[in-house]
Amino acid sequence: MKSVSLFLAMVVLAAPQQVFAAIGCTLSNPAEDLKYLYPDMTTYKEELDEFPRLSGGAELFKALRARLGSDLDPIYETYETPYTVYSIFKGQAKIGIVHGVNVPGKGGVIQVFLSVDPKTAAIRSFFFQRLESPAARQLRSKEFRSQFDGLTLADFYKHDYFAAVEPGAKADKVGAIKPPALDAAGRPDYDASLRGIRKNLILLDFFVYGRRFEPFFERAQQAAKPAKSPKATKTERSGL
Amino acid sequence: MKTRFYFRLALIALAILIPAVLVRAQSAPFRWHRHSGLCRRALDRSIWQRQECLCNQAASATPAAPESQNAADAKPDDPFAGVTAKPSPQTEAEQPARSWTQKFFGENFGFRKEIFLQVDTSQDGDVASRQSVGFEALKKFSTETATVASFDFQARLVRRDNYIPAIDDMDGQLRPGWAFEYHNLYLDLYNVLNPVLGDAQRGKVIGRFNFRAGHFYVPFGLNLQTDTHGTVLQLSNERNFGFERDWYTGFWGAINKSLNYDVYYLAGSGYDLRFKGQSGLGALRISLANKYSSQYGLEGGVSILGGGRLSPDIADMERSQNAAANVDANWSTNPGGFAPNSTIQTLRFGLDGRYRKPVPTGLLTLTSELSRGRDNSSAVSMQLYQAEYLRASRRWGFTTQYRRFGQEKLGAESSIIGEIAWYFRNDVANSNVHAIRLNVERQLERITGRPGVVVTLQYYIYR
Repeated sequence: MKSVSLFLAMVVLAAPQQVFAAIGCTLSNPAEDLKYLYPDMTTYKEELDEFPRLSGGAELFKALRARLGSDLDPIYETYETPYTVYSIFKGQAKIGIVHGVNVPGKGGVIQVFLSVDPKTAAIRSFFFQRLESPAARQLRSKEFRSQFDGLTLADFYKHDYFAAVEPGAKADKVGAIKPPALDAAGRPDYDASLRGIRKNLILLDFFVYGRRFEPFFERAQQAAKPAKSPKATKTERSGL
Repeated sequence: MKTRFYFRLALIALAILIPAVLVRAQSAPFRWHRHSGLCRRALDRSIWQRQECLCNQAASATPAAPESQNAADAKPDDPFAGVTAKPSPQTEAEQPARSWTQKFFGENFGFRKEIFLQVDTSQDGDVASRQSVGFEALKKFSTETATVASFDFQARLVRRDNYIPAIDDMDGQLRPGWAFEYHNLYLDLYNVLNPVLGDAQRGKVIGRFNFRAGHFYVPFGLNLQTDTHGTVLQLSNERNFGFERDWYTGFWGAINKSLNYDVYYLAGSGYDLRFKGQSGLGALRISLANKYSSQYGLEGGVSILGGGRLSPDIADMERSQNAAANVDANWSTNPGGFAPNSTIQTLRFGLDGRYRKPVPTGLLTLTSELSRGRDNSSAVSMQLYQAEYLRASRRWGFTTQYRRFGQEKLGAESSIIGEIAWYFRNDVANSNVHAIRLNVERQLERITGRPGVVVTLQYYIYR
């Protein structure tokens, strides 16, 4: 019995890293939540994704940090953090994709969910599941959230360039977003929410869309390079 | 003279118009593209969004479909001119074929390893240790368009030396030495009516009828929605019924937008699935939908459970022939004093709630479980109150809990507990935890034996 037990213990401890996974930032009640977002839906499908199981996952994780423009939190945003992507169907047709991420806010966790167009990856709507923040009411307002409808990851990458080189440019859709009325205590959670949306879009680009917006990131980096000072850019400071 | 004047005027006009036409010709394809993109989107969007599109169209700053987005914004000095999104990834049909093992373990398969080291001491200087390695495997099964089932298996290989009844190991007394323990072992089938419904009906009842069978938390109180697998602090079911998990089968889902339900038949045997004359238990729980937790930080519900269950001590004693020799009178797990092989006719009504409140430096969580009922002819009551503070960084937290179980004619057991937790990793969804916990339980009342103090130090990794 002892030898069998020891063998089992060895098997467990020696299990390959690639098979790690579990439930990450999931919808608490996917059926109800997805039905609310997509009243015409008939079914949904969950897919677990995590960096250790992806080909080149370690490099991809580094790429996440680079594209996010800020450090990853060692508690909230680990390499092993699993993610769940929900695909929504009407009959056989895929009508939406929903994905959530956790980001650290001033008061605790902020869970940012996006529903996106399955073909274009444009934001259809964004909402919070958990929002432990003194500014929760303002950030949940429809007026604020609806400003993100139609944006893509390309807009966030473009914002990197505009924020550094041409602040206030009309083409900077992310820069044009108006924050809700917040006091100083609520501002960090606004920044964290924007960071969560960006992180969510980057992960979707990795997991679902085959890094289709990569050319925009590369161009933004190239274009902003000559104008960047040695100090951190505004984008990096704000975490956008 | 006039002819020369008109000729010059014509030259000036041409000088203005030709560059303008050329510039327009260059930008025309982008504009055409932008407008077609706008129209496509307008068909799919709400009225509000459509109005926004029209306004933006007038202002020449429309959000366009991403494929044409860069082109739409392009200007002669636009750094993103000519940049387009890459084509969509290859379809599944184009991907190489995978074996069934690759599919099973590579798609929607989760696996977590666990290391658990715990030392308990009492006021008498006794020391007990529990060390274990374990795992949890979760597999989700899907068709092309739906996730239809999931299977979860959670187990540990445990080594126990000596025994002190820490609150997270109430039944460990009867498994001394090496033991292989299973905890979660259940199958969920989602939307079980789908095979007999059309698309329209499927959409209407989605999330309403899900089936569960296996070994999981007793569907009474908050434990169904609380993972206490690796924590020292526990909720009230183990003390209330003698086990926190049982074998059961039944249905769960949403009643409407505000309420969820769980309705099950339980074997009433706890750890082992066995029938020794007990009728089993019926349980119904109605709980607040998850939107209340998301929007207001509020969870809660009412539960009712009734029927016949096995005295948990009897089941455990039958499992281990050596158990009787290890029972210390001070640490009896049968405070009710039920006769061997007895079936306990059980009835409970419960009310529970949990409220999360952000505070300036972190998160405060208040939890309570209250229940009343009968065990055979004796009235019983259980109450649990807990307050937890978790730093916003999620690196450390402090919790205190008061619990009391009372039984008519026999007396009561109560404790007050304090715990400090230091986290190296603390994922929000409990999918990645690395922590050290120090837990002190001060027993205030005991039905048998004398009240004491139990100090527990735990090191836990789950990743």
